Amino acid sequence: MSLFSFMGTLEIGFIFGLVAVGVYLTFRVLDFPDLTVDGSFTLGAALAAALIISGVNPYIATFCALLGGAVAGMVTAWLNLRFNILHLLASILTMTALYTINLRVMGKPNLALITEPTVLSPFMSLGIPNMYLKVIFVGLVVVAVGLLVAWFLNTQYGMAMRATGANPRMAQANGIVVNQKIYAGLALSNGLVALAGALFAQTNGFADSTMGIGTIVVGLAAVIVGESLFNSRSMLIIVLGCIVGSLLYRLAIAVALNADFIGFTTSDLNLITAVLVGLALILPQLRREWKARKAAKGDTV
Amino acid sequence: MIRCKQVKVTFNPGLATEKKALQGVDLTIPQGEFVTVIGSNGAGKSTLLNTIAGDIRCSSGQLCFDDRDVTALSAAARTGDVARVFQDPLAGTCGEMTIEENMALAYGRGKRRGLTLALNEPLRQLFREQLARLNLGLENRLNTQMGLLSGGQRQSVSLLMSALQPSKILLLDEHTAALDPKTAALVMDITDQIVAEKQLTVLMVTHSMRQALDYGTRTIMMHEGQVAFDLSGEERSQYGVKDLLNLFAKIRPDGDELDDDKLLLGA
Repeated sequence: MSLFSFMGTLEIGFIFGLVAVGVYLTFRVLDFPDLTVDGSFTLGAALAAALIISGVNPYIATFCALLGGAVAGMVTAWLNLRFNILHLLASILTMTALYTINLRVMGKPNLALITEPTVLSPFMSLGIPNMYLKVIFVGLVVVAVGLLVAWFLNTQYGMAMRATGANPRMAQANGIVVNQKIYAGLALSNGLVALAGALFAQTNGFADSTMGIGTIVVGLAAVIVGESLFNSRSMLIIVLGCIVGSLLYRLAIAVALNADFIGFTTSDLNLITAVLVGLALILPQLRREWKARKAAKGDTV
Repeated sequence: MIRCKQVKVTFNPGLATEKKALQGVDLTIPQGEFVTVIGSNGAGKSTLLNTIAGDIRCSSGQLCFDDRDVTALSAAARTGDVARVFQDPLAGTCGEMTIEENMALAYGRGKRRGLTLALNEPLRQLFREQLARLNLGLENRLNTQMGLLSGGQRQSVSLLMSALQPSKILLLDEHTAALDPKTAALVMDITDQIVAEKQLTVLMVTHSMRQALDYGTRTIMMHEGQVAFDLSGEERSQYGVKDLLNLFAKIRPDGDELDDDKLLLGA
């Protein structure tokens, strides 16, 4: 792997680390499997790209992207909480609707940002080579956001959100308005994912209507890799674990695609991802079964 | 003080599965009274507790705490006044969170939850002091995951959690039913301590006739969604488990009295 592609891998790894943190918030903290992210990642990219092209300051555009994602998350929460639509289905509905909305936002299926100013522009004059600059910038932003999320989950509000997912009845008995926490959690999660989309569009120079496909699986893969590496109850370690998980996942994929003797091409990516996530989910289950069988054998001897 | 005026609760109204769980409960419980609630399965004991807590809304009637009408308030909005401990030890705590995190959650009951850290050293000190009362050694295990504790330990911590914030009303829904006799006795002991200390108004549902008479200052029996009898003071102190069973037989004259094994075994 060349240095250039290694840096590119790190950059994408950090960006999807943000997605992983968002996915962790819904899947693990709130116990709300949310597929909206496939749409909100693209929404973030589309909003940022469209706004930047129309002359808006990249930082304001990025912030708008974050807000747009938050709104998308709240729509999913609303469908689920107000109308009792199953969470998975509610999120699929929002995701499907977002596909059209994203096309409308961009006005065409693909927007190029190569010649436009981005959040990186103010730092271009520092003299750091572009490929390093991107990684450093994205890495700093993502780690800072990760630290903020970890801190948030340890605040009174964040802890109430965790209780909402872990034991809603207990949460309610302690005066926590669970619906409000679910709205807030989905908004935060999809806001982060949209932010990741906005960063992706600006560092890679384009937004595309299909770029969000599979975001959820990649995010989930990173969460699972992080969880299996760091077995901890500390929010800080778990959240940073999501980011590290994303980096490792990206590196593993890059290595697999670079190993010529295996013969993978980039179009095999989704299959590889699905197999990896599948394995990560299957192995702990098999290990439990083996252990149980071993224990049972030990008893009868 | 709790006041129920003609409180009625009907589940699935208008459907074939319609169930009139409470059929006009009139009950006034003065501040500081400890009421034990007995009755057979389906008599409406738990429904009464859940209605007071706000988990179940009154279909009609009025519910007041002191002189404040709370009929329309949500469960969460009532938690400033009401603390509760569930029958299932798993229900009252978050298994995935640590002891100190669970206690911090309970510490926030009835307060605004903002963006300040939920735990700090003075709070941990308070939690340690409270846990030390249990004599279970939990004061040194603040960072232990709740899910690793036994049912009895979890229930004991739930009880402490219910008393971390001042409240007026404590609702106990068979909170010792799932515990072994020794742990149950310990939990009842702490219950008594906390109630006396905080001068709480208590409603305790129990299946044990013995417990119903031994604890508290007043005993009511629910039957078919209504208060069938109400014992307190001198009269109550003369009652034994047998008298209670006789009384119970009297209000169920259709011959199927005392078919409730749990009720008998509990006696």
